[in-house]
Amino acid sequence: MQRLIWVIGAIAALAAVTVLNSMPAPEAASTGAARAQHSLVLTGSSTVAPLAGEIAKRYESAHPGTRIDVHGGGSGRGIADARQGLAHLGMVSRDLKAGEGDLTAYPLARDGIGIIVHAANPIANLSKAQLIAIYTGEFGNWQALGGRDAPITVVHKAEGRSTLELFLAYTGLKNSETRPRVVIGDNEQGIKSVAANPNAIGYVSIGTAEYDIAHGAPIRLVALDGVAASSEHVRDGSYPLARTLNLVSAAPLRGLARDFVEFARAEQTRDLILAQYFVPLAQ
Amino acid sequence: MPARNYLSRDTAAAALVWSAAVVVAALFVWLTGDIVWRGAAYLTWDFLTAAPQDAGRAGGIGPILVSTLLLLAVCLAVALPLGLGTALLLAEFTVEDTAFARAVRRSLDILAGIPSIVFGLFGYVFFVQVLGLGFSILAGGLTLACMVLPLLIRACEAGLRAVPHEYRQACAALGLSRGAALRRVLLPAAVPGLLAGAVLGVGRALAETAALIYTSGYVDRLPSSLLDSGRALSIHIFDLSMNVPGGDRLAYGAALVLMLLLLIINATSAWLSRRWSQGRIVSV
Repeated sequence: MQRLIWVIGAIAALAAVTVLNSMPAPEAASTGAARAQHSLVLTGSSTVAPLAGEIAKRYESAHPGTRIDVHGGGSGRGIADARQGLAHLGMVSRDLKAGEGDLTAYPLARDGIGIIVHAANPIANLSKAQLIAIYTGEFGNWQALGGRDAPITVVHKAEGRSTLELFLAYTGLKNSETRPRVVIGDNEQGIKSVAANPNAIGYVSIGTAEYDIAHGAPIRLVALDGVAASSEHVRDGSYPLARTLNLVSAAPLRGLARDFVEFARAEQTRDLILAQYFVPLAQ
Repeated sequence: MPARNYLSRDTAAAALVWSAAVVVAALFVWLTGDIVWRGAAYLTWDFLTAAPQDAGRAGGIGPILVSTLLLLAVCLAVALPLGLGTALLLAEFTVEDTAFARAVRRSLDILAGIPSIVFGLFGYVFFVQVLGLGFSILAGGLTLACMVLPLLIRACEAGLRAVPHEYRQACAALGLSRGAALRRVLLPAAVPGLLAGAVLGVGRALAETAALIYTSGYVDRLPSSLLDSGRALSIHIFDLSMNVPGGDRLAYGAALVLMLLLLIINATSAWLSRRWSQGRIVSV
């Protein structure tokens, strides 16, 4: 049995040596400025993160020796990290607010927020006033909107999500005035909640909804004030509930960060934006 | 007549107990069946070694598997010695019912009940910002270690306490020093309990998402050092199913791999524990 201890000890020692060997020299690690020359950290909106990650991969392969780390977590995190210097660039899926004048925004793409219901729901169009009435609990039954006699299950976004902020800005509601039955975090979660409940209503990114509808999710995008919720209408600006996806920075851009932002906003990333179901900015 | 009454009551109770067991088993079969059914197609060597592409919709989970194992290694390398030390102090070097021991135990129980996101935010402030580790596997592993420690300590302590008191008396009677008694008799006898604690800890660490989002981060590149960010399997599954339209299919593949990883770790530790406790004490 003594032998077993030796074997385990030897494996542990080997593992430790491998790990230590693969670590950079302490000097290289501690001088953050030196690392920052060739590496960039982006944090923020989980809506933007998959797109930024793909752009980062293309940038890395075009510029060997550079490293771009992309972390999700929400637009709030992007703004906080950019201000504290934890990230070189923040990802924010809305326009900057008045209190955020210390940051500069670099738009990447557009995204619309679509109202979704279950595919079995006959409602095809909602006005802004009807939407407000649903979310404040004034209409508790689909019958009030000419639908079936069934209670409305209101699906709402959690605090700190820019989709929520945009929704509140459009409807003019305060979050405390809404009467949600279900509160969710991410886009796909919203789609799953509505797909699973014939009486639910929710709002998610139009690109995500279009993708999931094309792949058989039993949901439908509802027109808003007579304008169909589609990528088309987000691009031409006619759809009222749309947002801009931004990279933000607290300091003037220099070096790698400036180069990356230029790369991300150029024509060559258009296919990546479309592949993530967002809408490229009008060229 | 009363006898028959008892009989029917007996049958009813038995039926109740059986149906409860069947419900639990059915839930388990449904859950694992669903994951195996939808994930089995992805269980190929390519999927296990290739890098993810198109935000995870294509490609594999190679770098993510490496990051997950590195996170686990950091977590265990820190948590095991610390946990064992504390458990030894609690079980062998303090009287069970002193105020100090009670206070330590109470705080451990409270720590064990704290939601993991709180540990995550603590790690985000302490390891990532104050210690300047950045979003890295090291920061994530240390956060996991903090989270797993209370579980580990309590399980190890229970393992040590399960060793019959006669062993300690026999050691004392033989004139063994305390260190020798620990090394030769008490620890080997407690190994099954210690391994059970380690498995619990590993299980919790592997399944963890919330504590890692803000510490070890999302980067799905192959890490070249412990100071690189690395995406854990659980975060990959979360991201694929929640943020990436069309990521569901591969999320099932990743979930299956995570489940198999846990099974392998559990089986290995059970085997180790059996082997160890069979010969260890008598062969000394």
